[in-house]
Amino acid sequence: MDRETGEAAARVLVADDEEDIRLLVTLAVRKAACTVVAAVADGPQALAAARAERPDLVVLDVSMPGATGLEVCAALREDPVTAGCRVLLLSAGASPDDVARGLAAGADAYLPKPFTVAALVGQVRSLAAAGSRA
Amino acid sequence: MSAVVAPAQPAAVQRPTSSHALPIALAVATVAGLAVLLSRPPAPVPVLAAVTVLGAVLELTRRLRGQLAAAQELEAQRLELVSRGRSTADELEVATRMMRARAQTMTSVIDAVTEQSIIGTDPDGLIRVWNPGAERMLGLPRADVVRSRSITDFHAPEELGLEESPGTPAERFTSLVQGAREHGSDVRDWTYLTADGRRLTVSVAITPRTDDDGEQAGWNFVGTDMTEARAAERLKDQFVSLISHELRTPLSSILGYLELVMDDEEQPLTAEQRQYLGTVERNAQRLLRLVGDLLFTAQVDAGRFTLQPEDVDLAGVVRAAEETARVTAAARGVAVSVEAPATGPVVRGDALRLGQACDNLVSNAVKFTPGGGQVTLRLRQGWQHEDGTVGEQEVPGGRPVALLSVSDTGVGIPSGEQGQLFTSFFRASTARRNAVPGVGLGLTITKAITTAHGGTLDVSSVEGRGTTFTLTLPLDGVPAA
Repeated sequence: MDRETGEAAARVLVADDEEDIRLLVTLAVRKAACTVVAAVADGPQALAAARAERPDLVVLDVSMPGATGLEVCAALREDPVTAGCRVLLLSAGASPDDVARGLAAGADAYLPKPFTVAALVGQVRSLAAAGSRA
Repeated sequence: MSAVVAPAQPAAVQRPTSSHALPIALAVATVAGLAVLLSRPPAPVPVLAAVTVLGAVLELTRRLRGQLAAAQELEAQRLELVSRGRSTADELEVATRMMRARAQTMTSVIDAVTEQSIIGTDPDGLIRVWNPGAERMLGLPRADVVRSRSITDFHAPEELGLEESPGTPAERFTSLVQGAREHGSDVRDWTYLTADGRRLTVSVAITPRTDDDGEQAGWNFVGTDMTEARAAERLKDQFVSLISHELRTPLSSILGYLELVMDDEEQPLTAEQRQYLGTVERNAQRLLRLVGDLLFTAQVDAGRFTLQPEDVDLAGVVRAAEETARVTAAARGVAVSVEAPATGPVVRGDALRLGQACDNLVSNAVKFTPGGGQVTLRLRQGWQHEDGTVGEQEVPGGRPVALLSVSDTGVGIPSGEQGQLFTSFFRASTARRNAVPGVGLGLTITKAITTAHGGTLDVSSVEGRGTTFTLTLPLDGVPAA
């Protein structure tokens, strides 16, 4: 529950194979007044958690074992259960081509690494406020 | 009376077998005529008859002399023609010898090339020339190829523009030489198929070959095996990409957690702690810039560097660069000043990259200028003349350009090293002597950005007195996206 608005806090799934980054993203999501429903380390876990938890927002690292963030994102869009959730991609790839590939896979936003915590908090707040894509 | 002399006339006149035959025949005819006259009894008109005969003889003599002269002239002409014929034959022999020597030289040169394939074809692609380099590269001797195989037999079919069907040999060859036909020559990578089934990446220069009359006689294909070089380039790209990822990820953690600690309002840091963590952050940012520069250089080398064009106010770019350098310059005791209009000139370009180029120049100027020195940023409009020179006065036919210069009163660059300044990882001796930090990528990147915007980057420097870099950008051109 958002203390200021009284609305239910957005539910966020975090997926990154780097434990340090996973924790950093989790902290940033909490700073954005959202709830972390799960924090996982690979693509298949991310898909399974998304289908089970039906989060409002998925923060996905692009380079993950099992399935890349781009593949997970495309799979989320194809599944009616998860098609409406917002997706924020994080990646060490920072070129315009990298960003274009991410958005083409169905992401709502793309944040190149290294990112500032402030920028991540801003993106999470913005996507959480936007609500479902459907 | 005419019957007396008539029989002698044809033999003497019509067949002058030699230069002596005519006078002899004439003398015989004359003597015969006189003998006939003297042997006869006196007639009523003997004098008239003698005069008539004599006239005929004289006329005959005149004609014979003319024909003799003509015959002599013909003989002279014959001799002249014979002489000329001999001379022409001699010249022909010399020319033939020279042609043979030239052909021999060409053959020996082509045969001496063992590291490049030189393949010549007729206009339809049938192989006519196959040098030892081609034998070595493709694994087939000349005798197995010349006049029996087409050049397209050694090309990967999927590269000949015929993805759905292999096409006819003529179609494949047309596809192969299309670029050279359109542009006069064509150099690009092709995949060669060797006799033992290997695929080679070969840089092939294709050019038309003409005969002595200027007519196209066929095509030349000069190839250099780039298989290992291209593989090394791919490995380098993969390495840079991997390093970039592997460095960016830990830097994300370092910078992210630093930010959390430094911005924690519930547990504020002491001034000393803030100073230490500030040093950590500054160095993490330095590493991040280095990673970015390495990645960018790799993109430039691989030709994958793209611009995001928009209208860019260069006055804003210059002021932002001054602002970025201000703190560092002040700490070093270097004064930085800007001479620029309030706004403009405006160029069509990538704001981020132009800012990066300007930042690099100003950052370098500050780094290479000792305390008490001066760095000056100047921005003005100029005109590029047709010969490439640039002035500040408008000239007919001149091209409007923006001139962005960064001058310093620093250590300068030795004149012998200025030509290498834009080479990756090159560091001037003055930089090494003065222990100025850096890896030698900044100017390479600045030059690449300038070139991508259709501009030029020039340097003038005097060791011990200072350096000026001038970035010239066209104001009427749209850079490639």
